[in-house]
Amino acid sequence: MVNVMKGILIKCDPVMKQFLLHLDETMKLGSKFVLVDLDECHLFVQPEVYNSLKNLIDEQYEKVYYNQKSSLE
Amino acid sequence: MTLHNNEDGDQKTSKDQYGAFDYRPHIKLKDDHTSRPLWIAANGHIFLESFSPVYKHAKDFLITIAEPVCRPEHIHEYKLTAYSLYAAVSVGLQTHDIIEYLTRLCKTSLPPGICEFIQNCTLSYGKVKLVLKKNRYYVESDFPDVIQKLVKEPRIQECMISPSEGVVSTEKQKSRDIMFTSHQAQMAGSTEDPANAQKPESEQANGETKDKDKDAVPEDITSFYDKVEEEEEEEGNMKTLSFEVNQDKIETLQKTCIVLDFPLLAEYDFKNDTINEDIKIDLKPSAVLRPYQEKSLRKMFGNGRARSGIIVLPCGAGKSLVGVTACCTVNKKALVLCNSGVSVEQWKQQFKMWSTATDDMICRFTSDAKDKPFNAGILVTTYAMISHNQKRAYEAEQTMNWLKEQEWGIMVLDEVHTIPAKMFRRVLTIVQAHCKLGLTATLVREDDKIADLNFLIGPKLYEANWLELQKEGFIAKVQCAEVWCPMTPEFYREYLMGKVSDQKIKLLCAMNPNKFRTCEFLIKYHENRSDKIIVFIDEVFALIHYAKTMQKPYICGKTGQKERMTIIQNFKLNPKVNTIFFSRVADTSFDIPEANVLIEISSQGGSRRQEAQRLGRILRAKKGAIAENFNAFFYALLSQDSREMGYSRKRQSFLINQGYAYQVITPAQMVGMDEEQLHYSTKEEKVHLLEQILAASEADMYEEGVLGERGAGSQRKAGNISSLSGADDSIYGEKRKGSKKDHQHYLFKKFRS
Repeated sequence: MVNVMKGILIKCDPVMKQFLLHLDETMKLGSKFVLVDLDECHLFVQPEVYNSLKNLIDEQYEKVYYNQKSSLE
Repeated sequence: MTLHNNEDGDQKTSKDQYGAFDYRPHIKLKDDHTSRPLWIAANGHIFLESFSPVYKHAKDFLITIAEPVCRPEHIHEYKLTAYSLYAAVSVGLQTHDIIEYLTRLCKTSLPPGICEFIQNCTLSYGKVKLVLKKNRYYVESDFPDVIQKLVKEPRIQECMISPSEGVVSTEKQKSRDIMFTSHQAQMAGSTEDPANAQKPESEQANGETKDKDKDAVPEDITSFYDKVEEEEEEEGNMKTLSFEVNQDKIETLQKTCIVLDFPLLAEYDFKNDTINEDIKIDLKPSAVLRPYQEKSLRKMFGNGRARSGIIVLPCGAGKSLVGVTACCTVNKKALVLCNSGVSVEQWKQQFKMWSTATDDMICRFTSDAKDKPFNAGILVTTYAMISHNQKRAYEAEQTMNWLKEQEWGIMVLDEVHTIPAKMFRRVLTIVQAHCKLGLTATLVREDDKIADLNFLIGPKLYEANWLELQKEGFIAKVQCAEVWCPMTPEFYREYLMGKVSDQKIKLLCAMNPNKFRTCEFLIKYHENRSDKIIVFIDEVFALIHYAKTMQKPYICGKTGQKERMTIIQNFKLNPKVNTIFFSRVADTSFDIPEANVLIEISSQGGSRRQEAQRLGRILRAKKGAIAENFNAFFYALLSQDSREMGYSRKRQSFLINQGYAYQVITPAQMVGMDEEQLHYSTKEEKVHLLEQILAASEADMYEEGVLGERGAGSQRKAGNISSLSGADDSIYGEKRKGSKKDHQHYLFKKFRS
């Protein structure tokens, strides 16, 4: 039996991968979205999360680089 | 008095979509604007073209009346504030001169509101002076109406010694210019004081440059400059009104005067002080003042009297020499306050190096070294020692009593930004000093505590331009670099989980294996070039780990005074010791002139002051260095994608405003890093390190907290005082709004989405 899953491949640096895994584990998007953890730099994820992931990454970027308040918590 | 008028002006001006102001309806461009160097905005900001032919004049003038905000290469930004104008008046500028000269320098007509602002701030400031003459306090003024107003005030009458006598009017015995020249002549006569001997020469030089510039410059700018100087001299012939006040009521008097909008200027007529004996020290012939040091001192002794105030010079630019010279000029009993035992030793060294003072004239008063003070003319001690309010040893008690009885001619306050106002008030209740000189490199002034200094010590008298000193080779030319070290996945995972304490988060950032490797590589690289390296790590746990793994000496709060001295001596002289690791105890006042490479592993949040002070450790000019080349290196190691990135932006803002530029490097760009034998190359080692950090027991963490934050013991004062004052956090707290807004500029948003 063959299972076919539609998804998107994310290529990123190891640190970003950790961030995505962290989002996955803490259910930041409401549910798990990582389908397969391929290797250090590749993840296979559900296609629907693309936009919300992008926003979350932007948010994290903002938090780390500009907004000291949220990272001080 | 605030910038209210100016802000109103802001609201009236329309903004375009990028946030730029449109001033066209309010101000008119002059026809010959190309030859005039200034733009003045209605909100009090002034922009100066540093390439203008009249740059020199304009700069000297602006530094007197405004505070520098940002001074990169081409356009300098200054800001008019109430305090800066106060300082301008205290060095003898008149309201109409300021407005007149600004009008002439400005490319446009003056924006509305600026004139009123200057008038409001200057007319009341500096009109009344508190003068100590033969140990009696007098309130003095050249303006009859002002002094009449003061005398009528009941609270001031209470402070007067004999209200019935009222105001005494005296002709000034010498006009101001004669006083100044006689001051010069005297000084020049004693050839041992090259500082003052040089004065006439440099004035001549000024004159020459003026002549040269004249062709390129509209006539009125230069001619007015001369006129301002002439007027200053004429002033001396006016009548002076004065009344005597009770010494115990000085504080009340000062407060009342501030309420009345006539703050008292404190001056000390040390030449005519016959009661306090001269201490007979002088500068050695070998002590030659650099032009900027001389300029700053001239601001202090401008009219033959000593004026209290703050002098701002970059670290390593010779603040101590300025202090020593000031003491020699006043030539009365001098008290030097600094913030650690090590800098007490360094001040003593400085006195012996630059002045004729001998060992028995300089008395140290610290927890480790207590000299007999009774014949001494100079006492060097720490803030903590004086304000200590628990029981002291018998010997210390005696010294304190002696100290309280003395009439100090001058009080030098080193690293004045570190003292919180509260502590300083305590010092003031204990010590009687005729004039106070504050020295600092980083007078970051948004928070209220600095404003307090303005009131407690005096206005800022002089502030040097870092880049100019660098160009002239007085301080080292520093290459600043930010090294972005990626976090390893394992570390970042822990970081994101956020389950560990704040302390551990800091440790995770500081001990990121990639950072460790980068640091090790940089140390090896620079040791091969026979550079001297200092490494800063705030977290003591990380500090010890780094130092032990690399087998280098380290100094933290726990390290005893003797051991510190041994390590520093070795660093200076022993060719085998090229690297020291420091915790934040060495942030200020640790004089390590040999060091020319600084690696910063971790830091305290977004403190701009800490960054500048640390840079200061390597700023001292290097011997035999060519001024054009970079001869000192400052690496800030950051863990990428962690909060350190955000902090660094804040930390750097002070230095960037001084004109420094940071270069970003990633470890990938460092050639040869793969070939070096470095620690933590395998995954196992990295994971092991992580385990160590996570396993760091509560005991370790506890100890660390004590060392880093609080804890008793006079050795650790550098760290203690700055964190107690709490200024670090509030400083960048103030900045928060502004910088966020900056970075979210319309244009950048556009590019990013």
